[in-house]
Amino acid sequence: MRKKNIFLICIFIMVFPSGCNDRQELEQQSYVVAIGVDKAEEEDKYDFTYQIANPEVGSSSSQGGTNEPPSEIVTITGNDVLTATYTANAFVSKKITLDHTKVIIVSEELARDENFLRVLQAAARTPQIRRGVELIVSKEKAREFIQLNKPVTETRPHKYFLSILNRVTRSGLSPNSELHRFFQITEGDADLFLSTYASAIPSEEGEGNEDEYLAGQIPKLGGSPTQFMGAAVFKEGIMIDTLNGHETRLVNILDPTMDIENFITTFKDPIEPKFRVSIGYSQDKDPNISITYNKDKPSLIEVTVDFKAEVIAIPSLVDYSQNPDYQKRLINQIISELEEQTNKLIEKSQKEYGTDPFYWSLFVRKHFLDVKAYEKADWNKVIYPNAKIKVRYNLQNLEFGKMLNDTSLEEVRD
Amino acid sequence: MSPFFQAEKSTSETDMPIPTSISNRLEINIEQMKELFSFKVNKDFSYRSFVIHFNKKQATIFYYSSIVNGDKINETILKPLLEEDGRDLSNIITIENLLVLNDYKQIIKHINSGKAVLFVDGDSSVYSLDVADFQHRVITKAENESVIKGPQDAFTESLNVNLSLIRKQMHDRQLISEGMQVGVRSKSEINLLYVKDLVNEEILNNVKKRIEDISVDSIRNVELLEQYLEERPYSIVPTILYTERPDKATAYLEDGFIVILMDTSSACLIVPVTFWSFFHSPEDNYLRYLYGNFSRMIRLLCFYLTTMISATYVAISNFHSEMIPPDLLLAITASREYVPFPLIFEVLIMEIAFEIIREAGIRIPNPLGPTIGIVGALILGQAAVEANIISPIIVIIAALSGLSSFAISDININFTVRLTKFIFILAAGLFGMLALIGVFLLWFMYLASIKSFGVSFFAPLSPHFKSANDTFFRKAIKKQIFRPGQIKPQDMTKRPKDSN
Amino acid sequence: MLNNGSLKTREIVAILSLFLGMKLADSTPSLLAQKSQNGFWLVPILSFFILLPSFLLIMYLLKKYKDKNLIELMEAILGKWFGKALGLLFFTFVFLSLSLDSRNYVEQIKILYFPESPTKVIFFIFIGIAFFGAKKGIEVIGYTSWIAFPLIKFSVTLVFLLIFGKIIIQRIFPIFGSGIDILMLEGLQKASIFSEIFIILIAYTATKETKKFRHGVYLGSIFAFLEIILFYFIYTTVFDYNSIQKVAFPFHDITQYIQFGEFFTNIETIFMVFWLFAAYLRFIIFLYLITMIFGAIFEIKKFEPLLLPFSFLSIMIGLLPLNSISNELFLRETLFMIMSPFLILLPVLLWIVALSKGELRS
Repeated sequence: MRKKNIFLICIFIMVFPSGCNDRQELEQQSYVVAIGVDKAEEEDKYDFTYQIANPEVGSSSSQGGTNEPPSEIVTITGNDVLTATYTANAFVSKKITLDHTKVIIVSEELARDENFLRVLQAAARTPQIRRGVELIVSKEKAREFIQLNKPVTETRPHKYFLSILNRVTRSGLSPNSELHRFFQITEGDADLFLSTYASAIPSEEGEGNEDEYLAGQIPKLGGSPTQFMGAAVFKEGIMIDTLNGHETRLVNILDPTMDIENFITTFKDPIEPKFRVSIGYSQDKDPNISITYNKDKPSLIEVTVDFKAEVIAIPSLVDYSQNPDYQKRLINQIISELEEQTNKLIEKSQKEYGTDPFYWSLFVRKHFLDVKAYEKADWNKVIYPNAKIKVRYNLQNLEFGKMLNDTSLEEVRD
Repeated sequence: MSPFFQAEKSTSETDMPIPTSISNRLEINIEQMKELFSFKVNKDFSYRSFVIHFNKKQATIFYYSSIVNGDKINETILKPLLEEDGRDLSNIITIENLLVLNDYKQIIKHINSGKAVLFVDGDSSVYSLDVADFQHRVITKAENESVIKGPQDAFTESLNVNLSLIRKQMHDRQLISEGMQVGVRSKSEINLLYVKDLVNEEILNNVKKRIEDISVDSIRNVELLEQYLEERPYSIVPTILYTERPDKATAYLEDGFIVILMDTSSACLIVPVTFWSFFHSPEDNYLRYLYGNFSRMIRLLCFYLTTMISATYVAISNFHSEMIPPDLLLAITASREYVPFPLIFEVLIMEIAFEIIREAGIRIPNPLGPTIGIVGALILGQAAVEANIISPIIVIIAALSGLSSFAISDININFTVRLTKFIFILAAGLFGMLALIGVFLLWFMYLASIKSFGVSFFAPLSPHFKSANDTFFRKAIKKQIFRPGQIKPQDMTKRPKDSN
Repeated sequence: MLNNGSLKTREIVAILSLFLGMKLADSTPSLLAQKSQNGFWLVPILSFFILLPSFLLIMYLLKKYKDKNLIELMEAILGKWFGKALGLLFFTFVFLSLSLDSRNYVEQIKILYFPESPTKVIFFIFIGIAFFGAKKGIEVIGYTSWIAFPLIKFSVTLVFLLIFGKIIIQRIFPIFGSGIDILMLEGLQKASIFSEIFIILIAYTATKETKKFRHGVYLGSIFAFLEIILFYFIYTTVFDYNSIQKVAFPFHDITQYIQFGEFFTNIETIFMVFWLFAAYLRFIIFLYLITMIFGAIFEIKKFEPLLLPFSFLSIMIGLLPLNSISNELFLRETLFMIMSPFLILLPVLLWIVALSKGELRS
């Protein structure tokens, strides 16, 4: 009994100090919320920008530095994400922890570089960066983006990123661009990956309808300068193009692996073409995709999208709700406009990109027995660019909201 | 040589040997009795001599005046003997309990247990008359194991009263109250209660044997007896259930368990036990099915909170900070910014402070109790936070773990849980979740390996036995058909045989 | 410590499904995925059915020869010395897989949760706790497994439910992964991923009636088998065929990926708790059974004191490989490949000898 006790005590003493290796007090760590990656001036080196949350801002604790900024932003040049954190410790007083990182922001310049995949893979290797981290491409340098990004109401940066990314992906203006998805698609080497596109510097104001903008182009007054809109298109791990908000929405509609809830958009008024009708678009079911694979001739891809629409506003005051003929014309207008835009996008992807942003390669796989055959058939060089694609939109029902009819302007003015 | 030693020696020298036989002559007997009980110095040892009316013989009655009922002696012994006519003694004395004794050993035992002993001249047999009247409290409300719905009475320090409380609830001729004696110098009476046609003979014999094997001068009460009976005195886990509630004891009797009572304790012991006996409260069965199980669920949560919450907090914040949601993480970090101690130290300070308040709260004289409690808990916590000695979240954690420990009403398991808490905190501080889970697993396996009088601690959950499955949750009362199979009662079903 | 035969079917089910079922949450899936890509979830199915006839054969023999454990059975059929020699070979295989497996688990813990602590220390803690647990004996192990079983399976179910939204079924296509021929070969070579169902046979006499043990083993292995298939299927559908090869610890990768609502984003530690619990139990069972095998071979009745040297030895052997990758991809794979034919052929050999001796007719 006694011997055993002494033995146990010895083990305890032996183990106790080594346990301290991983013990880390909370206040001795700095929590990185966002990581920005830019190309450095030197070759093969990168500028890493860490946005570090300041715990004292926004917490109800009575003491302390309310005058301090909500986050500390540091930039350091290094080889990869982890080594840079250690270098950063030369001037950041606490151990830099990446566990709570929400976003990785990459400048467009780096994203278009062929070394981009290397940086990102090094990041994914550390267990500290999770697969759920979102990838954002910024038009300007990532460092500038982080510095300029000053949310007005959400003082805490992590809250801001969480809520804005949630909103943009739900409304379909930006894609879901988790690292996990990035790696699955890039390593799968068949489809295009779309990443959220953002900018904190307002550029020339764009023209067009409510969602046909890229980040930075939205005409607005007030609010935070940062805009999340549209998507960066990655092919084989390198950015090749951007899609505007509208195109991104279409991709989200057509991609069965994306969740899009609902959004409001406008269509041309079929009766009075100078006005536009606002329609709430919602989709409960994933689109139905069927691919007929033909070995020698072009394959056939048929896509059916079931959706619902709700008329939100009719500025032209045309009586759509009670006139079945007008209704039919409105429905035709909606469907034809959607189909036309979709076909344009598909054509662009077939001709320009050479492969699809919709993750449709999943549906051709079942025609093959093993990976070898599948890779030989070559989705992104042979099957998709030559395929015949038919997209059919299917309006399931059209609602008119809570008002039965609009007041006629003439009657009011009379 | 210490004076102690000498004193002991001298008493043993003056101690006269117990006379072997009782003489026919009263004077000799009186002398011997006086000698035996040190009449001159022993203030409350009394005797009274008189002449019996019907046969005109000299008689003397001996007793301790402090533990007998004087009126009873007067009414039922002296008065009839002095006034009534009759054939023999037993027809004259109206007392309900009369025994004939034949040697001095028995006489001593009887006098010590509050009987009056009657010597009659020319008779070598002696009459022991039960006039005992030990003083005890009246029956009060159960204070340490209180319930809202259910009987409120508690045991008191009297065997007869306690027996009456149990028999009141259980009218069964098979309910046996078997007496046993323990102690060499001061012989104490132990009562084993069991239902004869339910109890498992093997366990009963085991208990009896353990009681017989105790060889010690005296055992004053069941609290001490408990420690003589248990198998593992150094274990962190209790293996005997201790309760002050007669209804709880009766419930266990009905299931075939054995209850041990003593004259001097306001509580009883129940053997054998399982983990579930400590976890359950009698109220679980008094409350309706859903309510009772809800309260079980809360108690289970309390078990977890008391043992683990501080340790989990230490492990997570020291080793796995990634899992705290960011807002909470920042809040904790901000509050710790000015604290001069490592986190584990902080937790230990608060946990120990809580234990201090608790221990002091028990010892504090009653009138001061509430005031000091509030001062201790509130002021100490508040001031410590203001002085930046600890962070506010620790107060929440410690208060939560302390508060939930009160939901575990059994005092034994309560200590188990509180001690375990400290083991877990240290383990968590050592190597985070890795050590915490490992130590928890070992603790759990240790519990699973414990046996109380041959019954595994987690039975009937595992090893499985046929039973009412009254473990984490209970069934509806009507569905509780079986007695706990782990103690192998003679009759398994709680239903009359013919109705099945 | 003494076995009073109070174990029942349910405890055996719990023991076996923890012992075997842990294979779903270690690096075995990534080992299988190296060659068979997204078809790897089919490999265990093949392996199981390849191993099944041999397994049924040995169960039949055990039933015939009543109240003998695996080693005693081998000695009874093959004669004392040849039986012992084969038993020793079996012991060597099992002991090596214990050492390599434990290294594997320790590396997982280290890489994911304790990156800065030395492997040695984690190894000592891990095996130390397994040792103290194993000392409590098979009965307590059984009780503990049964009580922990629902909790552990609940956490696994929770992982399944939370990851469900991220599953893309189409990823299982092309259905045969890197090709049906490769799958068949892998299935044959890696048949010993189910070696646990043979190891547990050493405890054949742990229950009062061997019938209960047999039921327990059948139920437990089917349960663990289904569980493994389900989770390998999930890994295939969450990771694409190229990515699955690169993921070393798919279970942990999944737990890191899932989130519970928007506020609880990094919840992997919760699952790590249950995972650790199961891992400890697995090694407690492993260590105990191994010592039992050794005790049976050398006819040592009180084999519990041997637990300590064996724990120590397994640490020493486990520390030999340079890193976890070589341990996993080379050593463990080689061991699987050597062990598979042994496990497939051993029962057949026993059966043929028993048949030729004419002992099966009675």
